[in-house]
Amino acid sequence: MQHQYWVTKKSVQRKLGGKEDECVISSDAELDAKLELFKSINDSCLQLQRFIDLYQERLCFLAQEEHSLGRYLKECGKNEKNDSAGKIMITVGKSLAYVGHQRLTIRPPLVRLHQEVDTFRGRAVTDTKVTVSEMEKCRTEYRAALSWMKSASQQLDPDTGYGVDKFRKAQSYVRSTKYKFDKFTLACLQKVDLLAAARCNMFSHALVPYINALSVFSTKTTEVLSTASTNLDKVEPYDFHVTAELAIPNEDKDKETFFNADYTDEDKEKILKESESEWKGW
Amino acid sequence: MSYAYLFKYIIIGDTGVGKSCLLLQFTDKRFQPVHDLTIGVEFGARMITIDSKQIKLQIWDTAGQEAFRSITRSYYRGAAGALLVYDITRRETFNHLTTWLDDARQHSNSNMVIMLIGNKSDLESRREVKKEEGEAFAREHGLVFMETSAKTAANVEEAFINTAKEIYEKIQEGVFDINNEANGIKIGPQHSPTNPSLPGATGSSGSQGGGCC
Repeated sequence: MQHQYWVTKKSVQRKLGGKEDECVISSDAELDAKLELFKSINDSCLQLQRFIDLYQERLCFLAQEEHSLGRYLKECGKNEKNDSAGKIMITVGKSLAYVGHQRLTIRPPLVRLHQEVDTFRGRAVTDTKVTVSEMEKCRTEYRAALSWMKSASQQLDPDTGYGVDKFRKAQSYVRSTKYKFDKFTLACLQKVDLLAAARCNMFSHALVPYINALSVFSTKTTEVLSTASTNLDKVEPYDFHVTAELAIPNEDKDKETFFNADYTDEDKEKILKESESEWKGW
Repeated sequence: MSYAYLFKYIIIGDTGVGKSCLLLQFTDKRFQPVHDLTIGVEFGARMITIDSKQIKLQIWDTAGQEAFRSITRSYYRGAAGALLVYDITRRETFNHLTTWLDDARQHSNSNMVIMLIGNKSDLESRREVKKEEGEAFAREHGLVFMETSAKTAANVEEAFINTAKEIYEKIQEGVFDINNEANGIKIGPQHSPTNPSLPGATGSSGSQGGGCC
């Protein structure tokens, strides 16, 4: 009955974020630091899962776009009357379609990684969460017991026996709750350490296929693109005569002179005077 | 057992320095290599004789763990003497002395006699804190210093009794107001010889009655 009063009082205090004894807080420093690590593992796993999801989705989109652009270029190349332009379009189209196709090979290991992280969260993280919440329950009871003992310590006289019975009652309650709390604290510390190690282990296994897929993709596409580039070199340069007239060559020249010329006020004055004299001449 | 005076002592210091073992050695003259963690506080008592007067030492052996710190602070009140203990084989327990001393000075009366104790002097091979360092610390802060071993009982008696002597001298000098129980000194129920030892319903009226002379 009496301990229920203290437990309820402490639960309310912890829920409402009341001020806790600083010494009690700092004595839990190691545990709280470990809980921070746990929180960060939990959060970062969730984030990672979201990112992998977005990443693999966009990878698909990109592959699709590359593929359709490649096909479109190939189609246009076939219908192009100019032989060189057609060749260029077909070469570029073919390699783009290939890159798009190859890009999809990165996806399966990514999906696998997603599954691994999902399992990790579902099993290991959830299991640790259970232990942590058990520990928090014990922590509330332990802290309640400490408050009780503190109140029972206020007026204590072993010589006359005053308040000793009350104190012994609180003390035995502190002893039992402390035993439980210490047990769960140790369990939490060990589990979070294990969790961190297990995560590293998971990554070192699940990331290998992804890295391999990435490197295979890069090698293959490099090969294809460099072949395409040598093929493009062989194509007769396209005559830009017609389009050259559409360009505005003057604009560039203007820019060049503008930026290269040292701008000074004197020059400006000179020009002004010259123009004035010209005016007079008129 | 009747007594002329009762002195309240507290033993403070980091966890595991041997506070409870010192008390056990002093009260029961035995040593327990593995001791349960003290929860809050434990009590001990022993009669000693100073100047042919029976003096009862009531010793409060406090918990060293940090979680109990704010609870143990409430035990400082009304203590006449304090044994501030560190472990000579663990440097950090020596480094925390200033925190303990500040705590003690802040929560107790200013006349409290503080004895600095470097415990576990039997473990010479694992010593991390030199005796001179303890002496220097004590000199700097105006404490009495002693190295003890709760295991071999070396200096344990002396530590408790010398502190009592110092308190007794302070009473003779009139530094302590013995009628004020907040000073940790109680005048015993000298006129009630049927007084049983603690705990129990001792004649508290007797102890108060003794105070008027």
